[in-house]
Amino acid sequence: MAERAPDRLVRLLGIVAFLNRHESVPVAELATTFGVSARQILEDVDTLWVSGTPGYQHSDLIDFDAEAHDRGVVRLTESRGLTRPLRLGTREGVALIAALRALRDLLGSALPIEQAEVVDSTLEALTAAVGDASGAVDVHLATDGRPDVQAAVQSALVSGHRLRLEYVNAADVTSGRDVDPIRLVTGDAHTYLQAWCLRARGERLFRLDRVLSAEVLEELVEPHPVPAEPGSEVFRPEASAEQVHITLSARARWVAEQVPVDAVQELPDGDFRISLRVADGTWLRHLIAQVAADVRAVEPVQYALDVAETAERALAAYGALPPA
Amino acid sequence: MPTTIPPTERLLDLVIALVNTPNRMTKAQIRRSVAGYDAAASVEAFERMFERDKDALRELGIPIETVTDAAHGDDVGYRVDLDAYALSPIELTPAQHGVLSLAARFWQDHSLARDASRALTKLSAVTSGPGSEESVAVLAPRARAGGDAFLPLLDAIQHTQAVTFGYRAANTGEERVRTVEPWRLVASRGGWYLVGRDRDRAEARAFRLTRMTSAPAAVGPRRAFGVPADLDPRALIDSHHGGAEQLAVLAVRPERAGALRARAVPPTDGTGPDDLRFAGIAESVGRDLLHVPYRAVTRMAEELSGYGDAALVLGPTELRTAVLQRLGAAAGLSSLAEEPASGASDG
Repeated sequence: MAERAPDRLVRLLGIVAFLNRHESVPVAELATTFGVSARQILEDVDTLWVSGTPGYQHSDLIDFDAEAHDRGVVRLTESRGLTRPLRLGTREGVALIAALRALRDLLGSALPIEQAEVVDSTLEALTAAVGDASGAVDVHLATDGRPDVQAAVQSALVSGHRLRLEYVNAADVTSGRDVDPIRLVTGDAHTYLQAWCLRARGERLFRLDRVLSAEVLEELVEPHPVPAEPGSEVFRPEASAEQVHITLSARARWVAEQVPVDAVQELPDGDFRISLRVADGTWLRHLIAQVAADVRAVEPVQYALDVAETAERALAAYGALPPA
Repeated sequence: MPTTIPPTERLLDLVIALVNTPNRMTKAQIRRSVAGYDAAASVEAFERMFERDKDALRELGIPIETVTDAAHGDDVGYRVDLDAYALSPIELTPAQHGVLSLAARFWQDHSLARDASRALTKLSAVTSGPGSEESVAVLAPRARAGGDAFLPLLDAIQHTQAVTFGYRAANTGEERVRTVEPWRLVASRGGWYLVGRDRDRAEARAFRLTRMTSAPAAVGPRRAFGVPADLDPRALIDSHHGGAEQLAVLAVRPERAGALRARAVPPTDGTGPDDLRFAGIAESVGRDLLHVPYRAVTRMAEELSGYGDAALVLGPTELRTAVLQRLGAAAGLSSLAEEPASGASDG
């Protein structure tokens, strides 16, 4: 998707303000600083070079050192008054501050003190720049898992060692796996360990509260072909899985919010129908059982019948317990 | 067709013109002289384009001032207030820049992700050089979207202005209009909450954003209240979730319910009369005794009923009753087989 004009404008103004504080800067360094490609920086410089005050004669325009430009170095010679860095909007500041505060909470327990100090000082500088509303948003990240599991995972991540996990999957099957840990993906609901699973020969996400035990092994992690960023799509089942529709009453609204659904259809009286793809029937039956009182219909209906049968068995097991 | 100047360049030229004008620029002067506008076909088209651009620039934090000049009658002029334009003095090290780059990828919500990424771009202008994320790259914190209610609530918090919205209570399902003084937006335990003072109940409450049944609307004046200095959002959300932690006593089939085993804790001392009695029951049916902490009965009962006969509740009674109730409802799902799958109304 093409970049939106306002986003590019903010970078153009930022580049001029940055160059005002630095004599000559290689294109590659500008690219890293602003998180874009070197080619994009060259396009940005070209745009700035033809911009200026009305009249748009040579002396009206933002100007660069052409000779330095030929050497891949950007040197600003005329800024047309755009010398100051642009202030932060309140929402912009709040978005970054909330993220930093969440990060600090997490770092507090996970990483060496120097790193936490960098975050603290960044936060302080930013809070001063934003002012009153800086605390408007608070994100409490989950700290799942047994303390001994957390400690082992964090130590393996920092030291680069392989881990041996005892893990329970969503279908309630426990297995042992050796994994090379990559990073902790922490949301407000759960914490996942993103790791290369040696048995599956692929990248997997392990929910930390489903790890029964974690042992740091002698072996160091090996390099694996891993994407740089875990996207939100990693939590979604594959598109090839079976399509299921469930109609629920309004009280079970949370399902539409917490389960990765493909579509939500609103029905009269606050009822709604979700469509989702299911690779794992155990997980789906678990979900249906949780909201049984609010389930109006399930397609295919077999899933509901399985749940009913399981519930009958459970009721029978309760009946067979000796009196308390 | 005349060569059109791309929107970014038009916006940039407008900023430069308004920064450099000695006094102010009228709309007519802008239309005549700023690159990008001369291509606009009519005065109306220019007006529309200029209004949009003005809004876009203000949205980015560029302070466009309206200046009236008595000598020119009602003719309105514009300029950029350079003092309001600038970021407060701040200088970032490469390490701080690295941390900010990581923080900017925190939001999964598109509008907040855009806000954070713009903030990072602005702050990149005041770093001494590009940062490295290496030190913190082993962590990838993520926050999900807060939904449609999020931005109006954030605005109201900034303005300390009360809001009103429809809200469906979790336990009763009853829907009512609430008027709340908004203090904080909090993401916790898989949901977004508004923490604030419920005016009708005259006490502090947590409201789950997804239970709001209408968009929050600001009511009354700005700067209408203060936020308590000793505010503890976590405590309010905990009480929303059913208060103090309790221990579920479970009889679990061997090798099953692994996720519950992962959360199990040792019983407080294991020798009380209840402990011995429960251990005896579990043993007599060949099951393992587990103690698993929980807060909200509803959530715990939902989870446990999903395990069917793999995990049976021995105590507390309140939890056991809630699970049995759910199992009854689940057993009732067998009736769905007799109804048409399309879910035709049964009146």
